Amino acid sequence: MKGTVVVTGAARGIGRVIAETLRDTGPFSVVGVDIAPELALSEGIVPVQVDLTASDGPEAVKAGVEETGLPLLGVVNNAGITRDARLINMTDADFSSVLTVNLGAAFRLAESLSPLIAPGGAIVNIASRAYLGNFGQYNYSMSKGGLVGMTRALAIDLAPDVRVNAIAPGLIASEMSLAIPDEIREKMIAAIPLGRMGEPKEIAQAVWYLLSPQSSYITGHVLVVGGGRSLT
Amino acid sequence: MKGRRLQLSGEIRLPEGIEAQDLTLSEGLVFWARLGAATWDDASAELTEAFEKSREASRNEDSIVYIVANDALLGRTGPADAMVAAGLVSAARTAAIEGWKKGWTANVVAFDDGHDPVLVLDRAVSLLEDGVVTGELVHIGPGHLGKALV
Repeated sequence: MKGTVVVTGAARGIGRVIAETLRDTGPFSVVGVDIAPELALSEGIVPVQVDLTASDGPEAVKAGVEETGLPLLGVVNNAGITRDARLINMTDADFSSVLTVNLGAAFRLAESLSPLIAPGGAIVNIASRAYLGNFGQYNYSMSKGGLVGMTRALAIDLAPDVRVNAIAPGLIASEMSLAIPDEIREKMIAAIPLGRMGEPKEIAQAVWYLLSPQSSYITGHVLVVGGGRSLT
Repeated sequence: MKGRRLQLSGEIRLPEGIEAQDLTLSEGLVFWARLGAATWDDASAELTEAFEKSREASRNEDSIVYIVANDALLGRTGPADAMVAAGLVSAARTAAIEGWKKGWTANVVAFDDGHDPVLVLDRAVSLLEDGVVTGELVHIGPGHLGKALV
């Protein structure tokens, strides 16, 4: 069955690759959501340019889904930001902006769209390996842990019709990770058993799997896609 | 009151029904997460309060213990409660990394429904005073066994 999948944070980085992969692999029509105007650069993706933290954000996404004329089969909560600082120095703004974008927007979108998801559909929340703890990321780590908690609860609440899972990416070659100083990034790579950063496509493939019937008996799970870094 | 008498002089936020004057702890933050969050505003307020109190504790180099309900952590009481509980577990892990070299710790106590709150607090105080265990999720009761919590 062909249906629509909503991908947030679709303008750049991992989100853009997720949206394009789902578009190319199918059987999905993709609604790409982002606050950034360059969203329109992805061909064949229905763009919804909106601030998901605004009160009318979810309604704008609903309108984009209706535009496709297809049943809603999935939601990928990918939008996220970082504002790193040690807890001792973290400002109120650092904390609240990360929590609001990474967790609040995902919660409100899931709350709004989950009644529309067709039976057999799925939600995939893009968490982070940082939910296991990461220096200088109290806000980010909390937001991603919160996403994991939300995943568990929604997996219970939306069963048996809709599955809900999370992906916890490790170090992925994206704008976010390329902003890390070279020396620190090299140390991080040295701690990855597979010896390299992951590619955004490798996250996108995991998303596709969790949206597809190939994963029809998986719900409430956190899939760590991190090259084994959590082992070392 | 069962168990040892707890000494409180640090920052503590308790659920209703526990008298703060009965409790004492040496130094540190005990943050007992409220159950019953239903909206994003509820969850956000809870996590923000935890952050503000934790930042203050970290500036004082005081240890931190968050207390959460195991049912919330497992997602059984709804997504907003689950976000708070699981968010605090992840935050404690990061705080633990940052605090270790400074000599303070961060941990979480998750309790099954029906346990005496004073017993739960007693375990929290033990973790505050321990000074070595850090970044741990300590369960009171068997509710987590056979469940997928990481």
